[in-house]
Amino acid sequence: MASWHFAVAVWTALAVLALYPAGSALAQTPKPGGHLNVMLREDLPQGFAVHETATVSSSFPSMPCFNNLVIFDQLKRQESLDTLVGELAEKWSWQDNYRNLVFFLRKDVKWHDGKPFTSKDVKYTFDVVREAPDAPAKLRINPRKDWYANVEAIETPDASTVVFHLKRPQPSLLLMFASGYTPIYAAHVPPASYRTACMGTGPFKLKEWRKGEYVDYVKNPDYFIKGRPYLDTIRYLVIENRGTRMSALQSGKLDVSFPGEMTKTISEQIKKAVPQMVVTTVGQTVSDNIIMNVKKPPFDNLKVRLAVSYAIDRRGLIQAVHQGGAVLGAALPPKPWGIWGIGEQGLLALPGYGKPADEKAKAKKIMSELGYSPEKPLKVEIGTRAIAIYVDMASFVINELKQVGIEATLKQVESAQWHPMATRGDYQIGANLTGLGLDDPDANFFENYACGSPRNYSQYCNEQVMKMIEAQSQEVNNQKRLELVLALQKKLEEDAPRPILDWRLDYFSNWPYVHNMIPQNNIYNFGRMQDVWRDK
Amino acid sequence: MKTYLAQRLGIAALTLFGMSVVIFVLLRIAPGDIVDILFSTGGYVNPSERAAIEKELGLDKPIWLQYVDWLRNIATGDLGKSYRYDLPAWEIIKPLFPVTLELAILSMIVAVVLGVPTGVISAVRQDTTLDYILRVLSLAGLAMPSFWLGMVIILALVAWIGWIPPMTYVPARENFKLHFIQFALPALAVGYRSSALIMRITRSALLEVMREDYIRTARAKGQGERTVIWRHALKNAILPVVTVIGIEFAFLIGGLIVTETVFNLPGVARFLVQAIAWRDYPIVQTLVMFTAAIVIFSNLAVDMLYGVLDPRVRYGGG
Repeated sequence: MASWHFAVAVWTALAVLALYPAGSALAQTPKPGGHLNVMLREDLPQGFAVHETATVSSSFPSMPCFNNLVIFDQLKRQESLDTLVGELAEKWSWQDNYRNLVFFLRKDVKWHDGKPFTSKDVKYTFDVVREAPDAPAKLRINPRKDWYANVEAIETPDASTVVFHLKRPQPSLLLMFASGYTPIYAAHVPPASYRTACMGTGPFKLKEWRKGEYVDYVKNPDYFIKGRPYLDTIRYLVIENRGTRMSALQSGKLDVSFPGEMTKTISEQIKKAVPQMVVTTVGQTVSDNIIMNVKKPPFDNLKVRLAVSYAIDRRGLIQAVHQGGAVLGAALPPKPWGIWGIGEQGLLALPGYGKPADEKAKAKKIMSELGYSPEKPLKVEIGTRAIAIYVDMASFVINELKQVGIEATLKQVESAQWHPMATRGDYQIGANLTGLGLDDPDANFFENYACGSPRNYSQYCNEQVMKMIEAQSQEVNNQKRLELVLALQKKLEEDAPRPILDWRLDYFSNWPYVHNMIPQNNIYNFGRMQDVWRDK
Repeated sequence: MKTYLAQRLGIAALTLFGMSVVIFVLLRIAPGDIVDILFSTGGYVNPSERAAIEKELGLDKPIWLQYVDWLRNIATGDLGKSYRYDLPAWEIIKPLFPVTLELAILSMIVAVVLGVPTGVISAVRQDTTLDYILRVLSLAGLAMPSFWLGMVIILALVAWIGWIPPMTYVPARENFKLHFIQFALPALAVGYRSSALIMRITRSALLEVMREDYIRTARAKGQGERTVIWRHALKNAILPVVTVIGIEFAFLIGGLIVTETVFNLPGVARFLVQAIAWRDYPIVQTLVMFTAAIVIFSNLAVDMLYGVLDPRVRYGGG
């Protein structure tokens, strides 16, 4: 009897083992066809003119239309040099000690109108974006010109080879090419046409953009990767009311959420209502920070800036404003949400990251030395954008500053006025949000801390810091570069032109029947949709 | 009658002209313009790029010259080009009007169908339990903003049956059932509020008329109560109700902002808010002028209707 039982058990186990991989493979075999509804929280601000914008509201819904030279592997969550894969470039090679970057392009790529894609399109795109002296066209606005400031010239020896000549070594340039902000434009259509239409090489062709309502894509039958994309059609639905957006996701009118849209609280509510909803926690690469105008009193005084930094309880802010949906970090997001940030232990030594009571005591001491106290406060005006995510943070900060002798009155600035005001430096102190197009030191430091950069809202300019920025940028050894980057972040927090308060997390949500929709630790660089499929 | 109509049309033209000045000036007084918004999406400002865009859009010209250009273009049927979408304004706003008009008309139908009979019942059964219930319901309707009611309807639907109306516009010729559902729910939310107002006006007007001598005479002549109320009393009490309906309808054309947003309907009001946020002057100016024209002409239509409803009303010098 026992042997009979044993035999049944063995055969059953063998049968399960034999079937399991097959069943598993079967479950994971992509099914072609079907339609996907994706959330959009506003209409595309600049249409598909990705090179003329710096908002995810344009870049994310444009992704299916375009290709880059290279891209971060869309099936991996983390983005780094190790996760780069070719798109329009089959191979690439650094030459002359990282001074020349050569791309070998695919020869089987066509634009959506049937014209062949060649190296001329690549040269056209980057000559326009970097505003080369002989650029064939000009962008209306050009937010990422600085990304390519190190490119000296672009050569096209033949139709499938492009050579980027650099002024100095810059290993991380390759990452810029992988960003969702770096699609290749067609040389045979004017850049302005992308504001109303999309000429790409990507897995989906634009079918219709109904202004204020939706963007419809259909599968590109001539896509250069055979068998891709899996989906037949995609619709990006504009739903401006947040409550309606969430109801649409919960009811299945939407299959996928929008990057950066899901807060911790909302995702918990959705998960409670729809337990099968897949919620993935990822970094947004968006920080809450305080900008202080170092050209104007009182924040031209390092001591006052440090007092501000010491005064703000970051952990309290994360709990009170984000209900835990953010993490501590300095100028770059920490692991596992990023790869360059200072870890929790390292942060403890920086202003504002220790025990709140101790840090506030330090702030009070500084303010007291300067002749201020809660009873006789320093009066300042704190500016912020008149939208909830800014105002909530600013309100928390005001309360913190009050406790150490800084009385800040809130000035809400309409969105249209916020960036002009910040760029002009027409403010004392501000509560700000900053999104990084890439989790890379170059993309952040040159944009937000370099002397003269239009997005360096603090007007901060430090020769030593500039040297450190240049040094890390040229360093080809990754470990050495990391050490330089950590030192640079420490220096920036100690100078406090722009103390970082936290890095926001996203709780990206999709229905379980949507496969291969992998959110990355950066809201700007995923969404190509070529591998996404659904089994419903 | 003809003179009166001509006078009214003249006043309408003057009002529209005044509106054109007001909206043109107000838009330019508001801080920021489209160029600021464009740079805002880039997160920076470049003065030379800024100047180039201003020149491209004609924003570098003196304001009075911009106004003259706008009027001249309108006169030639050119409503301008959307700054945001780089497309002719008319092409963008043309599909919006049918959506808002349909919603406004349906809302008014709901309001009248609910408001007038309940107003009559409330007046006829004055100070009864039914009257009190109807008055409480109407007060609730006035107190609840229609957008809030709309949001509650959506949340209730998703919580109870896991379904909400379509999130993109479904034309009636494509799927009448879905189209009807898509409009019926917001029309209910908006119509309920308007019905409360109509109910209260109907009730008070009817109560006043019911005390008139001719009503007593009608009753004395032995006419049935239903005939007295519906033929004699209501017909004479309906003028203020028609006025309110006209005003409400005009209000709805521009006042459906949040309802359209909550139900994700691509109508005039929702788009107008977006256009204002983007300082898309050509779109805002055109939408406001169209809305003003509808308000003016719906008021004119109501005034004309007075003569039909009450033969004592005469137009013109007589």
